[in-house]
Amino acid sequence: MRSGKLNPARDPALRARWWRLREDFVRWVTRRHQADGRRARVTRDRVYILPTRQGFMLLLILLVMLLGSINYSNNMAFLLTFLVVGIGHNAMWYTHRNLLGLKVTVLPVKPVFAGAPPMLSLRLEETDGRPREALRLAAGGQESPPAFLETGGSAEVAIALESRPRGIYSLPRQRLSTRYPLGLLEAWTWLTLDTEVLVYPVPVPADAVQAATADGDGEEAAVPTARDAPPDEIRDYRPGDSPNRIAWKAVARSGRLFVRDSAGGDAAPTWVDWDAVPGSDPEYRLSVLCHRVLEANATGQPFGLRLPGQRLGPDTGPEHLGRCLRALAAFGLPRRKLT
Amino acid sequence: MRAWLARTRTQPELLGLWLLLAAVPVAALPHAWEQPPWVFAVLMAAWLWRVIIHATNARLPARWLMVLLVLAGGALTFVEFGTVFGQQAGTALLLVMLALKLLEIRSQRDIVVSLFLAYFVVVTTYFFNQSILIAAYSLLSAWLITAALIQVHGGRVLPLARLARSSGLMLVHALPIMLILFLVFPRIPGPIWGSPHEDPVGQTGLSDRLEFGDIAQLLENEATALRVRFEGPVPASSQQYWRALVMTDFDGRGWRVDRSRPEVPADGEGPGDVAYTVTLEPTRAHYLPVLDFPVGIPDHARLLDNLQVVTSRRVDSRLQYTGHARLDAPPVLPLSADERTRALALPAAAAPRARVQAALWRAAHGDDDTAIVQEALQLFAGEPFRYTLRPPLLQGDNTDAFLFETRAGYCEHYASTLAVLMRAAGIPARVITGYQGGQWMDAGNYLRLRQADAHAWTEVWLEDRGWTRVDPTAAIAPERIETGLSGWFGEDIDAPAFLRRSGLPWTVQWRLRISDWHDVATFRWESLVLAFDPERQRELFARFGLDATDWRSVLIALAVSLGGLALLVGLSAFLRRPRDRRDPAQRALDRLSRRLRRHDLAREPHETAAAYAARVRAARPELATPLADFAQAYTHLRYADLDAQEREQFQRQLWRALGEAKG
Repeated sequence: MRSGKLNPARDPALRARWWRLREDFVRWVTRRHQADGRRARVTRDRVYILPTRQGFMLLLILLVMLLGSINYSNNMAFLLTFLVVGIGHNAMWYTHRNLLGLKVTVLPVKPVFAGAPPMLSLRLEETDGRPREALRLAAGGQESPPAFLETGGSAEVAIALESRPRGIYSLPRQRLSTRYPLGLLEAWTWLTLDTEVLVYPVPVPADAVQAATADGDGEEAAVPTARDAPPDEIRDYRPGDSPNRIAWKAVARSGRLFVRDSAGGDAAPTWVDWDAVPGSDPEYRLSVLCHRVLEANATGQPFGLRLPGQRLGPDTGPEHLGRCLRALAAFGLPRRKLT
Repeated sequence: MRAWLARTRTQPELLGLWLLLAAVPVAALPHAWEQPPWVFAVLMAAWLWRVIIHATNARLPARWLMVLLVLAGGALTFVEFGTVFGQQAGTALLLVMLALKLLEIRSQRDIVVSLFLAYFVVVTTYFFNQSILIAAYSLLSAWLITAALIQVHGGRVLPLARLARSSGLMLVHALPIMLILFLVFPRIPGPIWGSPHEDPVGQTGLSDRLEFGDIAQLLENEATALRVRFEGPVPASSQQYWRALVMTDFDGRGWRVDRSRPEVPADGEGPGDVAYTVTLEPTRAHYLPVLDFPVGIPDHARLLDNLQVVTSRRVDSRLQYTGHARLDAPPVLPLSADERTRALALPAAAAPRARVQAALWRAAHGDDDTAIVQEALQLFAGEPFRYTLRPPLLQGDNTDAFLFETRAGYCEHYASTLAVLMRAAGIPARVITGYQGGQWMDAGNYLRLRQADAHAWTEVWLEDRGWTRVDPTAAIAPERIETGLSGWFGEDIDAPAFLRRSGLPWTVQWRLRISDWHDVATFRWESLVLAFDPERQRELFARFGLDATDWRSVLIALAVSLGGLALLVGLSAFLRRPRDRRDPAQRALDRLSRRLRRHDLAREPHETAAAYAARVRAARPELATPLADFAQAYTHLRYADLDAQEREQFQRQLWRALGEAKG
């Protein structure tokens, strides 16, 4: 945010160039650091500190105070001037220590559908026995509100990253900074914590086109939805039945395990198929597939996903759903860096 | 009301603004006494306006109004002082601008700027007052300002206790750096530009004219005039005459101080002379009180031929100087014919009856001037003369009325009358004013002379001895001279409280005691802090073999002292580093494992102490005994329920076994 102020111009081309330069510079400065992985500790060798604009302002005022003291040979003015000099000098130490020694862990980023901002959250832990104040996290051009830590405590800082088209991304570089206590200096560290950011395609209902296919045969069949499924039949539980098909009401009445069996009985599982989606735009197709996967999952029936060169399922459950959505997000794309 | 309270809780910067609004009046308060009333009124009005804006969520004044107010503030300052620079005007302008800044705070940055200006306001306080009380007070201001700064950058509403503590700690941590810079930062004598002394405030204490009643008036004044520290033994009170002003010209009513006397060289101190250091409160005059008789005078001061010491720069702030005195032997200076005429002059109409008296003495004693002086002192001591606080009013010629009618007076009555009598008898005479007596401050080991200790005495010219001190007060009220004012007035219920020795209510006694403590603290403060000047700095540097005027020396001193400080801080951080939090037994086990690592016998993480010991024993049978002891002690220490004695026993066993289990 503050780096925004440093922009030399509003001209987007210049700005892009400025960002690139900045990026190169940071990379050059941090070239000796290794990538952080999931967790990192803010060690001495990665804390940077520089005066802020306010710091320079105080310097100027101190200079005037010093001149006054010298001119009037006023010892008490000297004393107070030097006292403030001492405070300003020590602020370097306080600010540095406010950041030093923190343990930072990146929390898994909850997958989002394209268009929604992924939330980056870091967990900060204090283990050195002193409280921390006003810690700010910045990444991808966004900044978090200040966080604080009590002695031995921990906190989470989160930023909403910019929303992105579907894909699998890695995290942008993070900058954890503080100006506490006096705002005269800013201490910061660059973190390269990483975790996967999944951006699923936006689910789009394929209007007018009924495009799910039954197993293998290529026969078209409507995707069953929870609402229009025929009334369930109850049968005995057999090992291997999915736990989320247990008919709890019946179990409660009888004390025996029953499962709901839908009209199809052991009907063939539903397939959500790439080839069954009309249109030539792959992104549109992925969006439609995404919608269908979600719908198929909502029925609780086993379903599978067929993409060119890939076949997932048939299966049920959230893990299967996750795999399917991930396949949709990653389809045809390399992993990219979020900036 | 509730609305802004709620906002304060949610917006940390807003609380910072409130703290700023608390800090500004505190920082500016000392200026209320030093600045024209309107300056402080403007500040408080702006302050109140801002508070109201806050409390009622009103709008800030418009830009055009602010521009107008700034121009008006500048103009008002200029009209008041004729300038906007210098101490007085500059400070007024700073206060006005800070006031207006309060009205246009819109962002965090504005709050911060105002807080920086508040630090500046604290510094300007010292242009007018450098007392130790102000020093303590400005620590309070600095503490508040710093707390506000912390809150502004706190990112949340910080707990007040933490805010207070952090701010206080910051001040404490800054003290060493302050001290080092104070001592090492190069000092330049004198102002770079402008004159530091601008405020015309009336002279206090001794004046350059002396009439009856002038010194008696000072008796009520308990303010300290000067403080003296002696190098060697302290001379007896009756020998301490602090000479300030010499008066030769008499107009029949009063005496006027000598003007434009030639300068004479000082004798230079010799063995047996008294060395002393004076801290003089501002006199707004040029004289320096020195101990009679001056043989060594302060630097930058001049000794005149009437033995008065003056400085070319008016004493507008506390001044410290050293001098040397020869108590009993005045330097013999020749008396020129002109000088003799002046010292004998009496207005034609003055003191007719006294002249007759003097003529009688002269007739009786012929050329013996000493005898005539004795006659006069005999007169004061023998006749019913009174030494009193409240001399009656005189009618007609002052000298005659006092000498023959009222016969009650204070030191200036006696000194003046004696001088007139001597002149009438043909003996050159003059009147000296200064201080005599004082209070010895044990706690500070110095002599405190108040304005009340002002004194007047006479000097007469004797052919064989030159100018000789004759103090008529010593003849009439010897206690005044030997033990000071309270020696004479201690039991007098009319005397000011600080002179009385008994009969005071406890409240007054406490007030006097506190006033004494304050004086001692002031003296210490003065000699430790305020007296530090380029010369002291040179001496300090010289003690370390450095030259304060050489920038390389300054850099060395700075580097060494700051480096030493950093070393100390680092060392203390090292000593206070987080201790090993492991259990002592665990630590011993780790150490054993580390020791045996080079034999490839390090403990595996899953191994218990007993299992580990067994494994090592298999590989190194010679360590069997200590290892068994070790394992036993370890297991007991970690898992058994032991009393203190057993614990100690096992601990000893553990460490002994560890010592014996040397690979």
